[in-house]
Order: sequence, then structure tokens, then C-alpha cells
Amino acid sequence: MRRSVTVARCVVMVAVLLILAVGALRAQPGESPDTALATLLAAARAKLPGACRQATADRLVKILCAKTIRIGVRDYYPLFGTRTNGKHQGYEVDVGAAIARMLGVEPEFERVNAATRIPFLAEDRVDLVIATMGHNTQRDGQVRFIRPHYYRSETIIVAPKESKVAKMDDLLGRTVCVTVGNLSNAELVSRDARLMLFDEAGVLPERLKDQTCSLAAQDDSFFAYYFTDPDFAAAYGPKFGFSQVPWGMAVARHGSDELARALELISQIFHRDGLFLDIARFNRIGTGFLQEQQVVWRRTQCNTATGSTNPDCVLPALNAELQPTPFAPAVSAFETWLDATLDVEVALPMLKTAPAWEMFKDGVINSLILIAGALTATLAFAVLFGAAMGSRIAPLRWLARLLTITLQSSPIVLTLVIAAAIGHAFFAYSDAVALAASIAALGLANGSNAGQALSEAIWSLRAEGRFDGTPAVGHDLFSRALGRSSTQMVAFLVNAAKGTPIASFIGAPELLSALTDITSFSSGRATTYTLLLVFYTVVVMVVVWLCGKFRAYLEGRQLAGEAAA
Amino acid sequence: MSQHLAELAADFLPRFLRGMAVNFEIAVISLVIGLVLGLLLALGRYRGAIAGAAAAAMVALMRAAPTFVVMFFLLNAIPRDATLFGAPLVVSGLMAVALSLVPYSAAYISDAGLDAMRHWRAGSHLGALLFLPNVTRAFFVLVMSSSAGAAIGVTEGITVILRRAEQLPTLDDRLLLFALGIVMFGIPLQLGFALISFIQRRLSRLVPATA
Repeated sequence: MRRSVTVARCVVMVAVLLILAVGALRAQPGESPDTALATLLAAARAKLPGACRQATADRLVKILCAKTIRIGVRDYYPLFGTRTNGKHQGYEVDVGAAIARMLGVEPEFERVNAATRIPFLAEDRVDLVIATMGHNTQRDGQVRFIRPHYYRSETIIVAPKESKVAKMDDLLGRTVCVTVGNLSNAELVSRDARLMLFDEAGVLPERLKDQTCSLAAQDDSFFAYYFTDPDFAAAYGPKFGFSQVPWGMAVARHGSDELARALELISQIFHRDGLFLDIARFNRIGTGFLQEQQVVWRRTQCNTATGSTNPDCVLPALNAELQPTPFAPAVSAFETWLDATLDVEVALPMLKTAPAWEMFKDGVINSLILIAGALTATLAFAVLFGAAMGSRIAPLRWLARLLTITLQSSPIVLTLVIAAAIGHAFFAYSDAVALAASIAALGLANGSNAGQALSEAIWSLRAEGRFDGTPAVGHDLFSRALGRSSTQMVAFLVNAAKGTPIASFIGAPELLSALTDITSFSSGRATTYTLLLVFYTVVVMVVVWLCGKFRAYLEGRQLAGEAAA
Repeated sequence: MSQHLAELAADFLPRFLRGMAVNFEIAVISLVIGLVLGLLLALGRYRGAIAGAAAAAMVALMRAAPTFVVMFFLLNAIPRDATLFGAPLVVSGLMAVALSLVPYSAAYISDAGLDAMRHWRAGSHLGALLFLPNVTRAFFVLVMSSSAGAAIGVTEGITVILRRAEQLPTLDDRLLLFALGIVMFGIPLQLGFALISFIQRRLSRLVPATA
């Protein structure tokens, strides 16, 4: 009797497996992910060993044939993927090992980094990548992401505990330390935060400690490790988060349909059963997202074989596509032509996307406004200071001298900061206020020095007039003094024009500021800063040429005045 | 002075002085490089001909190059894997500031050096020795200009002031701190100008006797 029951059970099991195998790749609505996974794996195993020799076999079959899954993981991303004495550890490593157990194979971990994780999939050097990879629309065309996502990071602002920064609006005009290429930089730029760029995220905690940075923006997953350090956690804290990015495991776009399907079902099960959550807790990483996801994947409508394609259950990829300019293809063609013909690698990100192009145009216009304003202000302050210091009214002269010595003693960066602080005390922060404060600071700093030269010319002309009996007075004196001090006047006008890029320090939206913002979320830093240097050098040379004409005019007036005298 | 400012002032001075030492360090580096480059350019211009024209063109270009942009160019345009004579070429923040000031210092030294050479040839040794106060003047201009390092996180004097200012709640306190900074930068600057006057007076007394 017992034997007949066992035989019956075996028959039923074989029948069920056969039925499931027939519809392996056609999951039925309402079917549980567990059943769908079992069916899929059974179907794949049924193809062994014959399919093992087929080049076109799906990667799932190849994994089952090899009894090994090659997983690309990070080896220096604390808490997520590290390697100590040859042993891989971290959340992503443990997730990879759990997946291998579900597939009944051994995991073989391969080191990847941000640059190699996608090429390794395309080159068939790994079967699966679990390597802190944000799922965005750009990458969707390069690899196949597995949904549901196994983690989600967000960019957090980290600052000293006592900092009052609490929301995005508090970053207005503040400097935030960021890493180049982080997509969240575009959001910071759009909120008028100033960026200080670094190549590696690893330096940010150090720059916070040595006070180079008072605010730093980076993935919460990155800072998670540093917050496990009691000293760091006592001194610094996350202020707020933004720019959330789901992280996805990824497989190759081609030849991985069954593997991707298996991984989708496994991810659903891991979320629903809290396995992701347990692994995250074990590795001491944030669990907020995983707790939310557990609730989602326990819902009836999501806990099905088709849950991973249900828009109500899965998260969309981050839309990282920037609208291209109408001439972007021509720019790309030009870059390619330069590379092919002259072997010169040039990247012109400011011409390729609409937001970058707008920022670039505004930067050029604002730079020209700033230069024109700084020249005008320098000339105006020079005349004012010159008249005051050349005045016979002693208190006025002393006051002007005191102000000149003060301005001479203040480095231009400090003068700019003071002008901006006073400007912002009276007006709300805006680009116009930053530009006006910069023009005032550059005009005062250079105009006071030029004014001193003008006053010295006035006093020398007075002395000569007393000596030769032809004292110049009023407008004539001033006009001749302008001619006599023309060399110094021109020198300080050129200095004012050269100094305009420093206005970016207080947030004036000139070209340096605009290009720094553009390169923070795109490539081509070398080309961008070379173009910037060429732009400003050419502009200053034009200013030098114009000032030469101005000096010739002033000297001509002086000679005419002296001839008339 | 508010309580906030009083609390901050306790450890401000040592930090600020350490920051100012960085300003002087940057100025020394850029002046030394500027002296070597500037004197070579001055010699080229003094000799004239093609070398003179090339040197003059280079000096004109250096005069037009904005320090602040050069600094960002050095930090961003040099590839991370660049090498110089086989050695890795890594430009630190401090070196980026110092090197960005080299075009100014080299152009200035070149002008002053050329003047000195012409004076010497004309027999005016005093005129030639004015090169020394001119170099001193360039040094103090470099000290003041090195505050550009604040924009890239170099911990120089102005950076220390700005970090402190961020911790002060009122504009009055911040302005008071800024005024303190101006005084602190003003003292060496005015002493420098006094030193230049002293050198000029000494030269005018000594040189005629030895020339």
C-alpha cells in the first residue's frame, strides 16, 4: 500500500513537472513566483546535458551546465562589496550567494568596477552583475536590468551635526562637495548650489573632517560605512536625501532571457520573504527601501508570476536622458572627425544637451556683462577715489586713503565675500545680486588703486604748476592727471577684467561657474577647461587692446592740455 | 563682540596663522618658478631677434591669462594618469594655486628684469637694483592673490576665515571677523610696502658710492 502511494506521488510529481515544463516560459497570471521559478528551472534542467554544447543556449542553461554562476561584484565598496584576504564580503556578495543557492550552483565572484561592470557582461566574462549599479534609462540600452530592484540609494547631504541645513532650499548659494559625473549634481545646480568637484568619493569624508567641505553630497550607500564609525557619526549626519536611484542586478542584453526571468522571480521571492531585508540587516546597511518593498511584494496583485512586469509593483528606471540640442549630431560628428583625422580627443558637452547649451550661453553673456561692468565700475571708482584723494579737503582725503588701504589689505576673495554678504543682507539671493556684488567688489578693489595713481598725478601736477607758475585747476587739472596716470589706470582696468572669473566664488553665474556645473554631470573636463582658458585669455587680450586705445586717447588729451598751457 | 564670536576666537588665531603660512608658501613657490622663467624670458627679450619676439609674445599671453581660470585648468585639464619624465604628475590644490600664479609672476619678473638689464647697460646701477624692491612687491601681490585657493579647498588664511564665518549666526559677527581678516592680511602687506621703501632708500644711498 505504502509503495503504491509513493509510486503515485512520483507519478503526480513527474506529471506536474512535465506540465510546468511545457509552459515554462509562459507564466500564467495568478501563478505564484515560486511555482513559476520551479517550472522555469525544471525546464532548463530538462535541456541538460544536450544543450550544454549549444552555443546559442541561454545563459541560465550554461550556468546549470557549469554548475557555477559568475557574478561581478565590487571589491572596494564598504558594506556592499569588499574583498579581504581574497574573501568577498558585503550585501551584494551575500545576495549573489543566495541567488546561487536558489539556482543550485556555486557562485564565482569576479571583481568589477564602475567602468568594467557593463563591458564584462557584453564580453561574457560574467553572467550577472550585482555592483552598486543605478538603473537609469541610459543604461537600459546597454544591459538588461532585473526587476524588482534589489536596493535603492539616494543622494544625501552630509554636514556637521550643528549645521542648520535641512532642505534643498537651504543650499542656495552654498558650496557642496560632490564627485564628478554624479547625475544628482544636475539637481543641485538647478537649485543654485555651488559645486566643488572631486574625482573620488573616498576623499569626501576626509574633506569634511579637515573642513575643506562644510557640505558633501553622495550616495547614502557610500556614507553608510562611514556612519558605522562612532566618531564620524557623532560629528556628522545626513541632512536630507534626494535623487533616488533604484539599483538593479543586470545581465547581458542578448542570450539571457531565461536567466533574467529566473532572477526576476528570485528577486520577487527575496523581497516577499524578507531575505533581502535579512541580508541588509546582517550587513548593517539602510533597510527603509527594502521594508517598503516587502510590503509591495506581499500584495496579492504583485505576488504573482507576472508581478515583475506590473507597473504598480516595480519602480521605473531613473530618467537620465537630457534633451539633445538640434545640432548635437553635428557636434558628435565633429568630435569623431577630430579623433579620426587628427587623433585629438575632444568632448564638447556644452553643445550637446539643451540644459548644458542654455547654461553655456548664459555663462558667456554673464561673463561679458561682468567684464563690461567691472571695467565701468573700476573707471568710476578710480575717478571718485582720485578726486577724493586729490581733494584739498583733508577729512575727505583721509577717508578715501583709509578706504584705499583697507581695500588694498583685503584679498580679492574676501572683498567679494563681504560684498556678497552685504548684498544678500538687503536683497534675496539671486544671480543678479551676485553679479552686482561682484562688479562692485572688482570695481572697488581696482578702482581704489587706480584712484590712488590718479590722485598722485593730481598732486604732482599741482606741484609742477607751483614750480613753473602755470597751475592747472578744475577740469583741466583732472583731465591732465588722467593722462599722466593712464598707464596705471589701464593696468588696473586689465586687472579688473582678468579678475572677473573669481566672481564664480560667490555664485556669479559667469562662464567658469557654468562650465563647472556642466562638467559636474557630463564628460569632457579637459576640453571644457581648455576652451574656458582660451575664452578668457582672448577676452582679456581684447580688453588690453581696447585699453591701449583708451590710454592713447588719454595721453593725447594730456599732451594737448600741456601744449595749451 | 557676541558670545559666538568670542567662542570661535579661542582657536581662530593659531588656525589663521597656519593658513597664512600656506599663503606665504604658495607665494614663495610661484615666485621662485616665476623668477627662473621670468629671467629667461627677460634675457630672450633683451637679446631681441626671433627669440625676443617669441619671448615677448609669451609674456603678452601670460599677462592675459586669468589666474583663477588657470587654476581650474590645471586641476581639471591634466589627466589623472599624466606623467612628467616618467614620474606621475599629480597637481595638488596648493600646487595648482602656486602654478596658476606663475604666469603673473613670470610676466612681472620678465618686465622688471628687462628694465634692470637695460638700466645696467645704460650705466644706471641703481635703476637696475630696483629689481629687488620690484620682486618684493610681486611677492606680496602673490601672497594676496593666493587666497584664490579658497575656491578649491586649499586651507589658506581666507579659507580659515570663511569656515569660521559660516559658524557665525549674524551678519555683524561675520563682518567683524572679515574686518579682523583684513587687519591680519593688512599687517604683513603694509610691512612689505615699508620694506620696499626701506630697500629703495638704502639702495639710493649705497649704489652711487659703489657704481
